Amino acid sequence: MGTTLERMNLPGPFAVGAYARKLEEEMRRRARVLLIGEVTGLSRSKTQAYFELRDAEGAVPCAIWLNDLEKLDLPEGGLRDGAEVVVGGGPNYYRGSAHSSPSFAFRATHLRLAGEGDLLARLQALREQLRAEGLFELQGRLPRPRLPKTIGVVTAEGGAARRDLVAGLRRRGWAGTVVWAFAPVQDRRAAPAITAAIQGLAARPEVETIVVARGGGSLADLWAFCDETLCRTVAMLRVPVVSAIGHERDSTLIDDVAAVACSTPTHAPEAVVPLDCGAARESLLRCSSALRRAGEGAVGVRTRHLVALARGPARALRRERIALNQKTREIRAASERGVGERTAFQRRIAGVVLDRAARRAAGPEAKQRRDALARAEVAFRAHDPERTLERGYALAEDADGEPVTSAASARALDRISLRFSDDRIDVKPT
Amino acid sequence: MTESTSSQPDSYEAAVERLEQIIDRLDSGQAGLRETLDLCREGRELVTYCAAELDAVSAGLQELRLDELAAKLEQQPAEPRQS
Repeated sequence: MGTTLERMNLPGPFAVGAYARKLEEEMRRRARVLLIGEVTGLSRSKTQAYFELRDAEGAVPCAIWLNDLEKLDLPEGGLRDGAEVVVGGGPNYYRGSAHSSPSFAFRATHLRLAGEGDLLARLQALREQLRAEGLFELQGRLPRPRLPKTIGVVTAEGGAARRDLVAGLRRRGWAGTVVWAFAPVQDRRAAPAITAAIQGLAARPEVETIVVARGGGSLADLWAFCDETLCRTVAMLRVPVVSAIGHERDSTLIDDVAAVACSTPTHAPEAVVPLDCGAARESLLRCSSALRRAGEGAVGVRTRHLVALARGPARALRRERIALNQKTREIRAASERGVGERTAFQRRIAGVVLDRAARRAAGPEAKQRRDALARAEVAFRAHDPERTLERGYALAEDADGEPVTSAASARALDRISLRFSDDRIDVKPT
Repeated sequence: MTESTSSQPDSYEAAVERLEQIIDRLDSGQAGLRETLDLCREGRELVTYCAAELDAVSAGLQELRLDELAAKLEQQPAEPRQS
């Protein structure tokens, strides 16, 4: 063993007390700084308060004289476990003595509760770091079921967020299974408990989506949801996480790494069950009707088309037959009209011919007949007694109009009439 | 001819997406008789699947506790050894 130490060729050995003094001196020469972190393990002695200042990456033991602490005007109970504080001071090594143990602590001379600005600055640094590592995109790439049957919820057992979430799920018509993983949501135990609850839910194969919910509060109250370990766990999870932390203006680091960030727990149901079950049922009904109409319509339309096609030849024949009948009627009408016209024409021709023939026939022969007739009339008139009367003769007639041809006959009558050409007179024979 | 599958859909959303494709195709009036009848049959199967999925989340809200589920899980391995 000694041989090995010799081979290391180190300076010394020095007296440990001297070394401790040197170490103490070096520590005290280090720059004084401000540190920010969460108070854990707070305890007090008669003269000092001791605690660890901690964050996700590590911790430093701190000590502050009670005299210094009383000068700081902290609110009652302000310095407590879980409080985010800013301390001012520097490292201090107490070398101990023959009767007391050595110790190391960050000797705080000033201390105040971390303000919104301190937390925001720390949050921003964490946010940049996780973004640079690409942890903000991982959850967003996970497929998110629109209709999960089982959802896991991490929240406080007695919190309003729990009631809001259940009420919202019922409003969406969703009545599946909720697996509750209750955890404290506001103190130094919160972040590890929430992380463990999320991991426990993600290990359940039936859990399809995880909701992390908490009502509103100050950034310090919500600080557990900015915990680096918690946020890294969420980012690496293979189950989509919906964060629903605080009020609308609150923005925690878990919102950045989660698949979906809701402004409040009341909005979480819409994100975790994107499907409105009532509306989905109505939509499904419409789809079903559309399918039935399409099926029936496709067959119906084609059937009607086929029937129409089957009727085609008969209709074509009927159409042709009608056309043919029409032509026949037209031809007959045209034929009858032609015959009539031809008959009338022939009649006109015949009339003309007959007239001409009649005229031809009535030419010289008629004249001869008219001349003979005139001659006969002359001869007849020559023997007409009327003509004799016209020349001055008179005709004697009895009462019956019979001619009286002798004087003796006349005397035998009481009266006779003498008929002249213009009139008759009665005379008494003597 | 659109893609036709009669296998069980992966999820409700996949079923709805396929159902919307089918309705769009049918509404376009471009599908022939055989394709129309196939799409209608596939669509009816998807409607049945979606209705069953909706029924599964309509039976009544069931609330479980993770710690109780974990406790049951721890008890389960002991049971086979007892029998």
